[in-house]
Amino acid sequence: MKRFPELKPNGWDMMVLAVVVVLGIVLSLGWMSAETDRLTAKISVDGVETEAVNLPQLRQEEERTIQANGYTLYLVLSQKGVQVRESDCPTQDCVHTGIITRAGQSIVCLPARVTVQLQGTVAEDGVDAVLG
Amino acid sequence: MRKITAVFLTVFMMGVLSACGSRAEEPASRQIYAMDTVMMVNAYGKSGEAAVEETEQTLYQLEALLSRTQEKSQVSALNRSAGEPVELDEELEQLIETAADYTHATGGAFDITIAPVADAWGFTTDHQRVPNQAELQALLERVGMEHVHLKNGTGMVDAGTEIDLGGIAKGYASDRVAQIYAANDVPRGMVYLGGNVLAWGDRPDGTPWRVGIQDPAAPENPEALVGVLQLRDAFAITSGGYQRFFEENGKRYHHILNPETGCPAESGLTSVTVVADKTDGNGTMCDALSTALFIMGEERALDYWRAHAGAFDLVLVTKDGRVVVTEGLAGRFTAAEGGAYSYETVS
Amino acid sequence: MKLTTKQLTLCAMLTAMALALSYVENFLPLSLAIPIPGIKLGLANIVTVFALYALGPGQALLILLARSLLGAVFAGNMNALIFSLLGGLAALAVEIFLSRLPRLSIYGVSVGGAASHNCGQVAAAVLTLGNTAPLYYLPVLLWVSGFTGALTGLLAAGLFRCLAHTNLMKE
Repeated sequence: MKRFPELKPNGWDMMVLAVVVVLGIVLSLGWMSAETDRLTAKISVDGVETEAVNLPQLRQEEERTIQANGYTLYLVLSQKGVQVRESDCPTQDCVHTGIITRAGQSIVCLPARVTVQLQGTVAEDGVDAVLG
Repeated sequence: MRKITAVFLTVFMMGVLSACGSRAEEPASRQIYAMDTVMMVNAYGKSGEAAVEETEQTLYQLEALLSRTQEKSQVSALNRSAGEPVELDEELEQLIETAADYTHATGGAFDITIAPVADAWGFTTDHQRVPNQAELQALLERVGMEHVHLKNGTGMVDAGTEIDLGGIAKGYASDRVAQIYAANDVPRGMVYLGGNVLAWGDRPDGTPWRVGIQDPAAPENPEALVGVLQLRDAFAITSGGYQRFFEENGKRYHHILNPETGCPAESGLTSVTVVADKTDGNGTMCDALSTALFIMGEERALDYWRAHAGAFDLVLVTKDGRVVVTEGLAGRFTAAEGGAYSYETVS
Repeated sequence: MKLTTKQLTLCAMLTAMALALSYVENFLPLSLAIPIPGIKLGLANIVTVFALYALGPGQALLILLARSLLGAVFAGNMNALIFSLLGGLAALAVEIFLSRLPRLSIYGVSVGGAASHNCGQVAAAVLTLGNTAPLYYLPVLLWVSGFTGALTGLLAAGLFRCLAHTNLMKE
């Protein structure tokens, strides 16, 4: 026998337990905030990112006017999501897409070569891409 | 002592934790405008940046080779050949041969020589119209792979015939991307080439990539899905009449033309999704088949699927509100909740 | 390290016991709640804790290595070795440190060991899967280790009480 251990639990043991439990809580809070704070709208023109907007941090609705390849797009960003409110492009696909709200979704204006992608952790029931 | 112990314990635990690895990695990603569409490419891992860079260069090269609208491309040269042979890259020659194979296999439903007819409908321009019957008949005379001649690295088309690889080029491009990802040991990535999806590896959280299938009845609503595919190391593509169309006198005309009639295919389907594993060549196959099977309709599409057991799987959406899923996708397809569709699995 | 016959016999017995406990663990469906292939509760830690006090850190390490290696051979895959080695070594390291603290009982040592065992296993999962997804389960695993640690502490304490007056405990 090297050493005979203390066999009755005491306050010191509770402290070890407390450290473990608190560490778990701190980590799970960290994980959760990291997940929700990451929804970012990435705006690109001609494939080059021009701006990345962290949506959960927006205090109020913000607008962007994007001029590219001869067209003008009016973008509205809010905590809820992103939308092209108006565009003078011929197809109007970007306007018809409506508001995008979840990671993995994107708005594409092919004539103006403008894209808005929502990036972040894709929710369990979200999608990474859409066919069609 | 109490304080020292607590501090030491905390520090030690943090050390163990940080050894557990860093937070979720970010992929290298790129948006590329090529082949008249937007392509979104991302790749994880150490060589992700190198892989997306190589992918971008390859896509531009392919566009320069395969485009029908760029005057300098070899396809344009071939379309101007009118009986005079022009030199072709081996890559282009092989792709045209592959296209001919699919024309043969699908009984003519897939045909790269339908291009002049599509021009007459105006699907390649902004001025869409309904051509009259005589005009279509005259154009259909020139449709068919028998008007395309390949020989020893040269090719020519008969006068009046033109090819457009639009129905296969992006699928072929996705095969090339898969080769690049394999060569660079990319562990995972999502490649979206204007509707052609390559789901490489799995998601960063270890689950399969989730790829939605657009509801053909609500093409512009990103939330409206027929269902979701869980894909790992797979190609997938959807063809649907809702993707491009125009209306005249209250009738809707879409862009998927039946090479037999020269008119938009009326097959009872609103979309066809083809899924196959990452085997080289399957990207091209999915692209070609999605168009062909849309034209062939539910019954012939399922016959074709049964005749090629295990090679690919299908999700068919019909005009009468059914979603038909082939059995190879069982467990990998989740129906949308609360939708108006009824779902069936076939074997 | 020189081992007496008695020590060697004890080491061998404890290794066998640890292996048996690892096997029993397969029937406890932790993997149902936490979908990481290869992850285990760490009941074999009872043996580590016992060996640490009864035989000292050196022989505890020997038992741990033998148990991990044999367990991986039985399971027939090397991933199992990474999981049990990383988990076991992390647990042992923390237990050695905690057991040197003057007032901590066997319970505190077990809980600390169980927590680091799970950290080590998550590290193994990150290494073998090549992605950081298992990290999301770390908080849950830490809470679970509170229970498993207390349980192994209880069992180890019981073991010492029973063996306190036998000649097994005498040098």
